[in-house]
Amino acid sequence: MSTTWGGGRIEDETFVSAEGEHGPYGIYPPTEDMLNEPVDPEVSKAQEDRLRRAWAAPKGWKVISAVNNEFVGKWYCLTAFSFMLCAGILALLMRVQLAVPENEFLSADRFNQFFTMHGSAMMFLFAVPMFEALSILLLPEILRARDMPFPRLSAYGYWCFLIGGIFVMSSVLFDAAPSSGWFMYPPLSTIEEGVGPDIWLLGLSFIEVASIAAAVELIVGVVKCRPPGMRVNLMPLYAWYVLVVGVMILFAFPPLIAGDFLFEMQRSFDWPFFDPERGGDPLLWQHLFWIFGHPEVYIVFLPSIALAAMIIPTAAQRPIVGYNWIVLSAVGVGFLSFGLWVHHMFTTGLPMLSLGFFSAASEAVVIPTGVQLFAFVATLMVGRVKMILPMLWIAGAMAVFTAGGLTGVMIALAPFDWQVHDTYFIVAHLHYTLFGGMIFPIIGGVYYYYPFFTKKMMSERLGRWSFWLIFTGFNLTFLPMHWTGLAGMPRRVYSYPGGIGWDLPNMISTVGAFVTAAGVAVFAWDLLRPKSHQPRAPRNPWKAGTLEWADDPNDEQWGVRSVPFITTRYPLWQQPKILERIDAGRYYLPDAQEGLRETIITSAVDARPQSVTAVTGPAWCTIFAAIFTGGAFIFPTFSWYLPAIISGAFAIACVIYWLWTSTAQVPAAPSKDVSLGLRLPVYVSGNKAPGWWGVFISMLGDATAFASLIFGVFFYWTSSPDFPPEGSAHADPIWIAGAAVLYALAWLFVRTARGVNRAGAVTTGRALLVAAPLAALGAGAALCWSLIALDPTSHAYPAMMWAVAVWTCVHTAAGVIMMCYCLAGTIFGKLTPRYDADLWNTTLFWHFHGTSAIIACAVIGWLPRVLA
Amino acid sequence: MSVFGIERSRSLWHLILAPTIWAIHFCVTYGMTAIWCERAPAASGDLRLWILIVTAVALAMILGVAWRAWRQWDYTDDYDYEHDGPTIEDRREFLGHAGFLLAVVSVIGVIYVALPAAFVGSCG
Amino acid sequence: MRRRTWQRRGASLLLPGLLAGCSGVQSILAPAGTDAAFLSNLFWVMLAGAVVLWFFMNGLMVYVWRVNVGHMSSRKAEALIIGGGIVFPTVVIGVLLSVALNAMPDMRAEGTGTRLKVTGEQWWWRVEYWPEGAEAPIVSANEIVLPANSRSEIGLTADKVIHSFWVPALGGKTDMFPGRETRMSLEPLKPGTYRGQCTEFCGESHAWMAFNTVVLPQDEYDAWLDAQAEPAAAPASESAERGQAVFLSEGCGACHAVRGTAAAGKVGPDLTHLGARTSLAAGTLPMTQDALVRWVRDAKAVKPGAEMPAYDHLTEDELSDLAAYLEGLT
Repeated sequence: MSTTWGGGRIEDETFVSAEGEHGPYGIYPPTEDMLNEPVDPEVSKAQEDRLRRAWAAPKGWKVISAVNNEFVGKWYCLTAFSFMLCAGILALLMRVQLAVPENEFLSADRFNQFFTMHGSAMMFLFAVPMFEALSILLLPEILRARDMPFPRLSAYGYWCFLIGGIFVMSSVLFDAAPSSGWFMYPPLSTIEEGVGPDIWLLGLSFIEVASIAAAVELIVGVVKCRPPGMRVNLMPLYAWYVLVVGVMILFAFPPLIAGDFLFEMQRSFDWPFFDPERGGDPLLWQHLFWIFGHPEVYIVFLPSIALAAMIIPTAAQRPIVGYNWIVLSAVGVGFLSFGLWVHHMFTTGLPMLSLGFFSAASEAVVIPTGVQLFAFVATLMVGRVKMILPMLWIAGAMAVFTAGGLTGVMIALAPFDWQVHDTYFIVAHLHYTLFGGMIFPIIGGVYYYYPFFTKKMMSERLGRWSFWLIFTGFNLTFLPMHWTGLAGMPRRVYSYPGGIGWDLPNMISTVGAFVTAAGVAVFAWDLLRPKSHQPRAPRNPWKAGTLEWADDPNDEQWGVRSVPFITTRYPLWQQPKILERIDAGRYYLPDAQEGLRETIITSAVDARPQSVTAVTGPAWCTIFAAIFTGGAFIFPTFSWYLPAIISGAFAIACVIYWLWTSTAQVPAAPSKDVSLGLRLPVYVSGNKAPGWWGVFISMLGDATAFASLIFGVFFYWTSSPDFPPEGSAHADPIWIAGAAVLYALAWLFVRTARGVNRAGAVTTGRALLVAAPLAALGAGAALCWSLIALDPTSHAYPAMMWAVAVWTCVHTAAGVIMMCYCLAGTIFGKLTPRYDADLWNTTLFWHFHGTSAIIACAVIGWLPRVLA
Repeated sequence: MSVFGIERSRSLWHLILAPTIWAIHFCVTYGMTAIWCERAPAASGDLRLWILIVTAVALAMILGVAWRAWRQWDYTDDYDYEHDGPTIEDRREFLGHAGFLLAVVSVIGVIYVALPAAFVGSCG
Repeated sequence: MRRRTWQRRGASLLLPGLLAGCSGVQSILAPAGTDAAFLSNLFWVMLAGAVVLWFFMNGLMVYVWRVNVGHMSSRKAEALIIGGGIVFPTVVIGVLLSVALNAMPDMRAEGTGTRLKVTGEQWWWRVEYWPEGAEAPIVSANEIVLPANSRSEIGLTADKVIHSFWVPALGGKTDMFPGRETRMSLEPLKPGTYRGQCTEFCGESHAWMAFNTVVLPQDEYDAWLDAQAEPAAAPASESAERGQAVFLSEGCGACHAVRGTAAAGKVGPDLTHLGARTSLAAGTLPMTQDALVRWVRDAKAVKPGAEMPAYDHLTEDELSDLAAYLEGLT
């Protein structure tokens, strides 16, 4: 069954390794005999010492410089959970205000701040970050990788999230919070006085950037960091969901970032994107917001349901039924969720046909969602269900979510939505889907995974108390809200008149909210109470079948003693000797000879070993980078632009330092022995390298943001009869043509530099790396100069042209920095003809940026003349 | 790199082909309607005809994808629908099976999305 | 705050239902218009279906949990997924979708009777009636009067921010945008008074942006419209006469119009026939002298953020004269 990799054939697959010792070399897959061979305990002990040293966490307060997924993931979870509690307290205060009609407990303005922050915090500071937090914590364990592919990136993301979150959340305490709703519709939000909307825009954009960073990391984690042998058909369902959700974030968040960019330009510099008097259109924001906002709901829902997909097989003590069906439904929901955004805009007076399309797509998404639920029920019916505590929460989730889904079917019908849109019926619906689709499964997940992280069990008794309190309280709060909505009560009102049928249901809802809060308090106490006197939990307390439960019982930091070879979906059930072999160090990468933190990189579909990559260790530069990035986003809130620019420059310096000192280092030896007769290269460039994938995926997201801006141009054209306005000035054709040519040259130079450098012509490569940034800088300058006659504050048309130009130039600046980084690399020996990953990544960036810059030139220079 | 579709049966891209066609169909019908209703609302009869044509093309393409996926799944060979083995065949048939199911959902999606054109005669 | 009297009056116009919401003047489930009636029926049918499905799904859960069956064959399980996940929802939702899509054009049909234009302001409604062939509109505010049994066409726009126009008992809502015209149509069936409210969050006093819709039989409506076209009634009492003097000397006319007098302001609501309306301050207060005094003395205390300045420097007598004048503007 096994063959050597020296250019032979493995199981009908052609694999040619012509790279000699630069490619994988040796035996794969391992034979049963090799796996049965015992490991010498002496050797194993020495290996363990070396591993322990390489993975040692910083001691004392310095622990905050740790970047391990276990540390960062835990902080991330706890931070997101505390933001949830804050947002929950806001909800309670709002419920007090609404308990009786004409209440004066909260003023109108404060209530408006509270509901704005409740929504914003629950979405941006809890729901999405919680997915990232849990995934950073769980994914490497589920895949039995040593760590995430870019640990410092996750640490950076976490610190960004913490700083941005505290900044946004604390605005409530200073009575300075945004008060135009979590959806920030202009013109209400553009004319709102004070810094509220700026805090919202800049603070949350900052967090969105961190979210995208996490998504990039998670996608690369799933695609490239699986253990050898874990083909796509054997992947744990959690990994499938993470992959789908990561890709969704990549396409959903950038439109909002583009929207935030336009919005902040209007607030800071009076560029009239959403001002109808100067050719702007408030509907553009609604489109951009909901293109983000609806997929976001599924971004929240899918990972939580993924937890259910891990818990249910354990409760049923058998493999999931309809694995393929669940993969289908995850991917299907991922797609369909992008065709639903207008159902938040059914009442905006769009053409009926358009409403029809979105109504239909909103209904179509029921099908994959239903498949998912029925697959769970089927699994339970085939197995023998043990009502373990986590399963109780999942059952509660199903009950609540089904109700939310059924009301979803109703409101997806456009005409029915015309009635209930923006009423309490919707408030009820969305809380049913989010509690059922997120809160219940997450709490179930916490009960399930708690012993895995802390080696202690949570209390069974408190768990049941908390469940029944939350379940009862939740239904008491939100079931009557359907009624309140049908009785005509709109959302987002700080008070209401008595005597028109709203008094009683509101009072019941308020009581229910406090019952729910009591349940959450019980849960929080159970989570945080000291458990030192409790006995250690057994290694696999729920008798689960998936790999995370192969966790080392001795609190080691190394993630996994040796990276196993996987041949089944539930290895702990189906590969009998796997635990002993992992622990003995029988599998791959049992040693850290060089004292480096390493993990195995495998191929995307069949998970064949490709290389070993060193991952980064503890660092302070990530924290500083996050602090300075925070400055660059937070200072503009108060119109302090110079400090913001300085802060931004420091952030870039920190990131360059971090990349230069710890990524793509020239290795001492080109490959290393990873045990079981296999040698793997330790440095790869191009599309086998995780870094390349990181750039590729980030740029997909970036391209989406750019596409959103271009969508904006076309949107203005379709929505207004004179766009561009008659007689308006256009970009100078000569300069814009020059810009396009220079962009093409810069792109060509950098691509050629990669080729000639690989071929060994280092000097020519350097010359090209000098010419390329010069061409790029010239291109950016020419692009801006071509627009000099257009006044961006006069009308949405020149503003939009400038927005595209500014966006492009910012990317050019990044591209130039990357080119200079490579140039410095070739001069100081970090980048050689053989070890050229940075140049590959820079070229990849320019493939995207070159394309988008040339499109930008066409949109600015050529398109308006055609449309006019 | 297999992911880039050098070997079709291995490709993850292949899996998402059918929903991608759904997405393109969705964008085209929505974009067409948005522009048409803004620029020439009177001639919505022609618009419905175009929606019909685009839908027919999309359905034909998805059926093509479904047929290929069905062949790749190779269900009638061993009536296997679990595909949980560690072999190339399992992985290939798994991707075929999931791709086929996605094609089914995409067909439903495309028909649903075209449905409004049957009931709503004007831009309104 | 006491607005209860008026609320009770409003509520007593409707049959008290068994269920609390049905007694509401703002209820989706107490329809008085063609569209609302259809949607209300649709809701009850969907609700019945949803309840059955919810019990089926959760019944299965309880079954596997309590009865602990186990070892159903995985083929059967797969059939459950296909049947429950694909076939059943595809058919049911296909039917629902067809019914709803089919109903849409009728609800958006162009109105054949009265034409109105409503503009959303912060936080009140500017209303213009455009009888057929009219060159200038009949201007009113904060109350809509519609004829029964004919479909009225309503043009919608907004002043500064987005609002949404909604009368639940008559039909669905449509948003109002600054710089953009949207439209809708409503066909009331039963004469009566129905409360409507702004449903798009529009700032501080979004909660107090409501209005009454009064549906009249066609002939009464025609008479009402003729009366609306008339200029304001002259003060009928001495108190009212003094009130008119206060109104003019305090500069109320800079913002408000009272046709037939020197007051011709366009910033605030038209007051020509204020006293004939059923509510004050956009559905916030009852149309009584007390409420008028309260409102004029300090509008912001009733409606936070309202633009109307406080007239708390006026004496009690001046305020009650003013209220008498305004209430007499029928």
